[in-house]
Amino acid sequence: MSMQTYQPAKLLRLHVAESDRFEGKALHEAILEKCRELKIAGATVFRGLEGYGETAEIHRPHLLSRDLPIVVQIVDTAENIERLLPVIEGMMGKGLIAISPVAALRIHK
Amino acid sequence: MLSKGVARKVTIYLNEDTQHHLSPLYESILTYLIHKGVAGATATRAFAGFGAHNVLHTPKMEALAEHLPIRVEFIDTAEKVEEVLPTLYDMVTDGLIEVQDTHIVKAAMKEKRQSESKPPRTREAAKAKLMQIFFGEADRWRDEPLYDAILKQLRMMEIAGATVYRGIDGYGAKGHSHKKSFFHISRDLPVMISVIESEEKLNQAASAVERMLEDGLIVISDVEVVRLVHANLPTS
Repeated sequence: MSMQTYQPAKLLRLHVAESDRFEGKALHEAILEKCRELKIAGATVFRGLEGYGETAEIHRPHLLSRDLPIVVQIVDTAENIERLLPVIEGMMGKGLIAISPVAALRIHK
Repeated sequence: MLSKGVARKVTIYLNEDTQHHLSPLYESILTYLIHKGVAGATATRAFAGFGAHNVLHTPKMEALAEHLPIRVEFIDTAEKVEEVLPTLYDMVTDGLIEVQDTHIVKAAMKEKRQSESKPPRTREAAKAKLMQIFFGEADRWRDEPLYDAILKQLRMMEIAGATVYRGIDGYGAKGHSHKKSFFHISRDLPVMISVIESEEKLNQAASAVERMLEDGLIVISDVEVVRLVHANLPTS
């Protein structure tokens, strides 16, 4: 592996629920918009199939309503993550935020 | 059982009716190879052919159909081939022996069903690396989806495991949004593949993925693996 091209970065993982809302829109959409606004390198939203979290509600699809777990993954430099973090914390009423140190390689041929 | 890598391939060309101690020579050779613990051997009867005697053996002529060529092939390590070659040299009184260097790409064997009782559940903790690869669902590699191609490549490299996730929304350095839209038939949702392996093997995997990825992001971090060995309870 060409290790010299891998740069130290941070991986931010936000665990929320699909039904969480922020200022009238889905929380994960609002987070993505905020990331773009703050010029964060990239973000990906994943929807889980099933799960449970700190509120001990089981997130499972129902016939009529569903509230599935959502994970937003963001990778950027430590400075940019530091800049983003307080904003995100203000938007999330409940949920989980995890940060891991990573080595990142951006490929663009 | 052979392993991947360098090996030797031996091909022996015989006549079907060449005898060795009252049995066909190819049978004697196969018996000898089994006895010596050679990994495997195949005898094939040719459809037609000719050898040093310059007589064409073909099923079209009934009289010559009895003397069809037989080819015995086996692949093993260089040491094993060295070991059996002198005896084969002696046995083949009429025919040709050829040896070539070869490369084993895959040597797979169906797992034998284990009837022995399994050891109790154990936890194995080890340091490992987690690699996450981010790209688009529409990305392709030589006429197939990139995520399929990467998975195949990782399987061939005997990487322990990989999982493909499809995101529901996102954006990358290109700045364009990956979102499923009601109005857009084509979709390019974000895809992420996660791989957990030892540092050494993960580095190999990363290099392979780096070559395949046109536009994307590779992220590597340290993880602690807690592996449940024999997660199912042992049957008494």
